[in-house]
This record gives sequence, structure tokens and C-alpha cells, in this order.
Amino acid sequence: MKATRAALLAASLVLVSGPATAGETASAPASLALGAKAPMATSKMKTANGKEVSIADVKGAKGTLVVFTCNACPWAKKWESRIVELGNDAGKKGIGMIAINSNDPNVNADDSYAVMQSRAKERGMKFAYAYDATSGIARAFGATRTPEAFLFDASGKLVYHGTIDDNADDAAAVKDAYLANAVNAVAGGKAVPVAETKALGCGIKFRKSSAS
Amino acid sequence: MQDGPRAGRLAGPASYHPAVPSARFLPRLALVALFAFTLGACARKEPVSQAPDSLRAEQLVFAPVTPDSLALVVAKAGGKATLVNVWASWCEPCREEFPELVRLARTYEDKGLKVVFVSADFTEALPDARKFLAAQGVDWPTWYKTGSDQAFIDALSPKWTGALPGTFIYDAQGKLRDSWEGKATYAKMENSVRPVLSLPPVTQVETDTTSKESRS
Repeated sequence: MKATRAALLAASLVLVSGPATAGETASAPASLALGAKAPMATSKMKTANGKEVSIADVKGAKGTLVVFTCNACPWAKKWESRIVELGNDAGKKGIGMIAINSNDPNVNADDSYAVMQSRAKERGMKFAYAYDATSGIARAFGATRTPEAFLFDASGKLVYHGTIDDNADDAAAVKDAYLANAVNAVAGGKAVPVAETKALGCGIKFRKSSAS
Repeated sequence: MQDGPRAGRLAGPASYHPAVPSARFLPRLALVALFAFTLGACARKEPVSQAPDSLRAEQLVFAPVTPDSLALVVAKAGGKATLVNVWASWCEPCREEFPELVRLARTYEDKGLKVVFVSADFTEALPDARKFLAAQGVDWPTWYKTGSDQAFIDALSPKWTGALPGTFIYDAQGKLRDSWEGKATYAKMENSVRPVLSLPPVTQVETDTTSKESRS
């Protein structure tokens, strides 16, 4: 009897630790602090155009922009065209951009690598759109939602962490384009006007950590 | 996101008039309450996720809330403990934990718990949110977020990153007592609201082994 109960309990534990619970986040770990360097910067990730690229690889002369985003999240979709425009523009200004999808595609199939490939083409992304196959990069950054941006200056220090702008729903109603302003400041060698912002977003659908 | 003594109180303006159920709606509320009571008495452990046939999406009280009026919404809820859950109709983990939040609301209603749902759906998704609320049998007024995200986040808890779902538990004074991001188990919700309701922790049961919000 005891053995049966134990087996049932074990089975239920396996069930709850399966893909069905992906997307559960713990009390959020501290996210990367301003002034910090990018963690796991040399970890290679597969990009939508089939290359193996790290954060260090995309570093520009003026800085690096890392944006955690995905294909499926309604907030990421609302901001998508603005993110692409910003990323393409940042590249021209000497700031290397990498978009990273850390979501487990078992939660939403739209977050698969195949959909990333078509999305990158459709949207004309001129920057790397990378697949964080373990969700480890997002964990290392302490990123919690999509989209979430981290901007590093020429010396590699984090100078902006937060959202894209102050209105996901309506691009025409944006009053403060936080990330664009930060990119322009960094490109011009100036201090970022607002260094930390927040917005609502989809929780990152983390894969089960191999450590736990 | 354990909230220590530095956690603030919700502070809002002195006047705000939240929507109240229409007179036409009230008899239905009473019916629904009776239904819920009966169901609760018969099968306390069953999730109360089935709406009675009479609960129709267009009759729900589902009203806008601004960051400034959040405090008053919590105060007017008048709970000994008030749980605020920010969700969206497209958010899978939100949908998954929703029936458990409804069950928590039913189970602890007479102990002074109020559950305040706030949808973060975009305007075009509000009809979906309304349908979902009806399907879940949420027969009490709920809200959808309007205005600045940043102000909304800071009003609930400056420690919140804005990721959904977000859950916040306030005491009768409006002081934040607990909060977390991501979906939670029923045991976690229960263990979090009980101290605020001056109830002892529940006896450890087997399901508690799954209650730790392990990082997935």
C-alpha cells in the first residue's frame, strides 16, 4: 500500500514537472544590474538564418542591444515592427543587435525555430534572431518577460534595461520611446535619459532547468 | 518577490466610483451565490470552474481600472485579505491557474478573502476575456487595465517585473503581504492567504510536495 502511494506520488511529481508546467516562474531572481557586463556573452546560439552566433559576436563599435522576444506573445507581436525597425537602425549606428527567443516551443508551437525563420524573413530582420535552446541566456540575464531589452555601451556595461516604449497597443500614441532614446544616446556617446523601465509582458516560458 | 517591511501600501485618490452590478444582475448574483454555496458544501475539493448556464458573458461586470484607482478597488473590495491577479485571455499559465483562483475565492469567501481579477488584455481581446470569465463562473465584478503599464506595475508592487500572471496579496490595511510572478498551485495560494486571514497553515498534505514554485 505504501509503495503504491509512493509510486502514485512519484508519478504525479513527474507529471507536474513535465512540459505542462513550463511557463511557471519562481520568485524572479534579480535581473542584471546597471553597469554589469552581459553574462554568457560567448555562448553560441543558432540564428534564424542558420548561423551560430553569440552576444559577443554581434557587438558593435558603439554597443550591443539584446532583446528577449518571441513569435507568439501578443505584446511581442504588438511591438514587433518597432523592434525590427529599432534593431535595423541600431546596426547602422554602430550598435549590434541580437534578438533572443528563450521560450519553450512545447508551450506554444509558434515559438519554434521554424517560425523564427519565417518571421525573420517576413519582417526583414537585419540582425541575428537567435534560439536560446536551454532558456539559459534568459536565466543568466534574469529576464522574465517578452519583450525585454538590455542595452550595453561600447565598454560593455549595461546602460538600459526595460521595455521598448510606453505604449505597446498603439505606436502612434507613444509619448516616450525609451529604447530608441537610449540607443540614440549610446550611439552619440551620451548618458541614457531613462535607464530602467517596465511594462507588462508575457512571462518567459522557461524550459526545465537541468540543474533542478 | 518576498515582500518585506519596505513594501508600500497602495495609495490612491480619494474618490473613484467603481461599477456596481446593475439591479437586473443582482438576482442572478444571488442565484449564482446559492449555486456556488451548494457546490461548495457538496464537494469542497472540486474546482468550481463550471459556470451556471445563466451566467452570460455580456452580463458580467467587467470594468476599466486605472493605476490611480487600483488602491480604491482593493479598499472597496473590503477583504480581510485581498488577492489581486493580473491575467490575460491569451496567457496560457494565467488560464491554467485561473480555476484554482476561483476555487480559492469560493473556499475562503466566508473567511474574508476577496479575489480581484484584473485583465491585461488589449482592447480587441476584451470580448475573449469576458467569455473566459463567464466560462469560469466569475460572477463578481472584475476589471481590465487601462493607462500606463509602468504606473500600473508600480501601483501593485514596485518589485513586479510586469510578467504575467502576477499575483498580489494585500491585508485589510492595503499593505502588500505577498506576491509572485508565474502560475501557482492551489496549495501555494492557500498558504499565502491563510496567515493574512489569521488562519493557521493547512496541514501538510501530499499535494504540498508540488506547491513549491520551482523554476521550470
